[in-house]
Amino acid sequence: MTQENSILKVEGLSVSYGNTVAVKDVSFDVRKGEIFGLLGPNGAGKTSTLSAIEGLVKFQTGTIMVDGYNAAEKPLYARASMGVQLQSTSFQAELRVPEILQLYAGVYGVPLDKQRIDAILKEIKLEDAVNKKFGELSGGQQQRVSLFISTIHNPRLVLLDEPTTGLDPQSRRQLWERIEAVREKGHGIVLTTHSMEEAEAVCDRIGIIDHGNMIIVDTPQALIDKYKNDPEVIALSRRGKVTLEDVFIALTGRAVRA
Amino acid sequence: METVVPKISIVFRTLFRADITTQWRNRKGLVISLLIPVMMVMLWKDMVKTAGGAWVLSNALSYGLVALGLMGYSNTIARDRDKGIFQRLRVAPIPTWAIMCSRLLVQLLMIVIITLAIFIVGYDVDHISLSVSGYIITLFTSIIGAGFYLSVGQLIVALIKNPDTVNSTSRFVFIIFVVSGMVISLYDKAKKLPPEYATIFHWSPYGTINTMMAAGMEPSTWNMHATNASLATIGYIVVFLVIGIRKFTWNTK
Repeated sequence: MTQENSILKVEGLSVSYGNTVAVKDVSFDVRKGEIFGLLGPNGAGKTSTLSAIEGLVKFQTGTIMVDGYNAAEKPLYARASMGVQLQSTSFQAELRVPEILQLYAGVYGVPLDKQRIDAILKEIKLEDAVNKKFGELSGGQQQRVSLFISTIHNPRLVLLDEPTTGLDPQSRRQLWERIEAVREKGHGIVLTTHSMEEAEAVCDRIGIIDHGNMIIVDTPQALIDKYKNDPEVIALSRRGKVTLEDVFIALTGRAVRA
Repeated sequence: METVVPKISIVFRTLFRADITTQWRNRKGLVISLLIPVMMVMLWKDMVKTAGGAWVLSNALSYGLVALGLMGYSNTIARDRDKGIFQRLRVAPIPTWAIMCSRLLVQLLMIVIITLAIFIVGYDVDHISLSVSGYIITLFTSIIGAGFYLSVGQLIVALIKNPDTVNSTSRFVFIIFVVSGMVISLYDKAKKLPPEYATIFHWSPYGTINTMMAAGMEPSTWNMHATNASLATIGYIVVFLVIGIRKFTWNTK
C-alpha cells in the first residue's frame, strides 16, 4: 500500500490486439478524492485502457499501480483494491438480487447478513425486488445493482465505464450522489462517458484519448481556458460560449467514428 | 487501510453456491438430460436379457453424459461468456481457474446425480443389480466419461464464440455421438460389424467410454482391454482439454 497521493498510476501503457495497437504509451494518474474522466470518441482506446487496469487484457508495455500494488505482479491485490462497473451489466440472470449481493460480498471478503442485505436493498431502492431475479429487473434497476456491487467492498479506486448510459434522470442523480459519497471518503474514481456536459460538471480532471494516445490531461476549466481563443474552437461553439464539447471536437476531429 | 484478498476456500464456496443455484434455476435441461436415459433403461427391459444389464446401463449413462457434459456445459459457458458474466467475475479478486473449476464441479455433481438415478431405476425397473465394487467403479468411470464430453464441450466453446453456433454445433456433435454411437454399438454387440470397423469403433471415444463403463459394472470382467480403453479415454480428455483451454477466450469480442 502506498502513502502517495495517487490511487492509480499508469505509466507508458501500451495495449495491442494482434497487429492492432489500441493504446500507445499512455500515462496518467488518479489522485485521492478525485473524479477522473477518460474521454474519447468510439474506438479511441478508453475501454482498452480500463480493461488493462482491470486485468481483463494483457498489456505489452508500461506499469499500472493500483493503491501501490503493481497490477502485473500482484493482480489479486490490485483487483481487490478496485471496484468496477463494466459497460454492460453482467450478472447471472437467474440469481435474485440478494444472491448477487451475497456472491460478490463473498468474493470480496465482505461479511453480509440478512439485516445488511435489507439495508442495501433499501439504499438502492430495490426493497420491493427482493424476490426478483436479476434478469427480471428493469435496465435502471440492474444498473443500480451493478453500481452498488462495484463499491460493495469500499474500494480505494472505482472504475466506471459509461455508467449513466440508459439511466433516467432520477437514477442518474442517485448515481452521482453515490459517486460523490465515494469521493468524499478520499477514494479515486475513473469514469468514461460520451457526455461532455456530464464530464464538465462532475470530473475534477479529464484525460482525452484518441487513436490510442493520451492527447491532454487537465481540469475541464483549464482545458476550456486554454483553447477558448483558438479559432477552430470558436468556430465550433454554438452559442458564443466555448464548452468542453467544443474543445473535445476540436482536439479529436469532427469525423464520426464507427 | 490494508487491502484484503479473501481466502480461496471462501471465494470458491461462494462461487460454487451461486453456480449451483443458477444450475438449479435452469433445471429444465437437467431434467431432460435425466429423463431420456431413465426412459431408455425402462424401455430397454427386454434388452437386459439379450445384451445384458451392463450394456443397457452403460448406453443409458453414455446418453446422459453426452447430453449434460457436451450440450449443457458448452451452452452455459457460451451464454455466460456472451453476456459478460465471466468478465464481471474476472475483475474481482478471483483466480480464473476458480471460476472454471466451480463450473466443472457443478457439472460433475449433476453427472453423479444422473448416474445414481440410472442405477436406482435400473435396479427398480429392470432388476439390474451390480456388486458394491461395480457401483463404485461405475461412478468413477462415469466421471471419467463425463470428463471426456466436458472436454469436447470446452473445445467447442474455445473454437466458436457465437452462442447460437455453439448450440447448433454441440447438438450436431451430440447427434453424431449418440445416434451413431448407439447404432454402431448395437451392431457391434450383435457381432455384425466387420472386424476393421469394430476396431475403429472400440478405440473411438464412444467405444472406449462404453468399454470402460461396461467393464466397471462387472469388475470381474475388467481386463487389459478395459484398462487400455480407460487410458485412451484419459488421453482423449487431455488432448481436447489442452486445446480447449489454450484456445479459450473469456469474451466474445
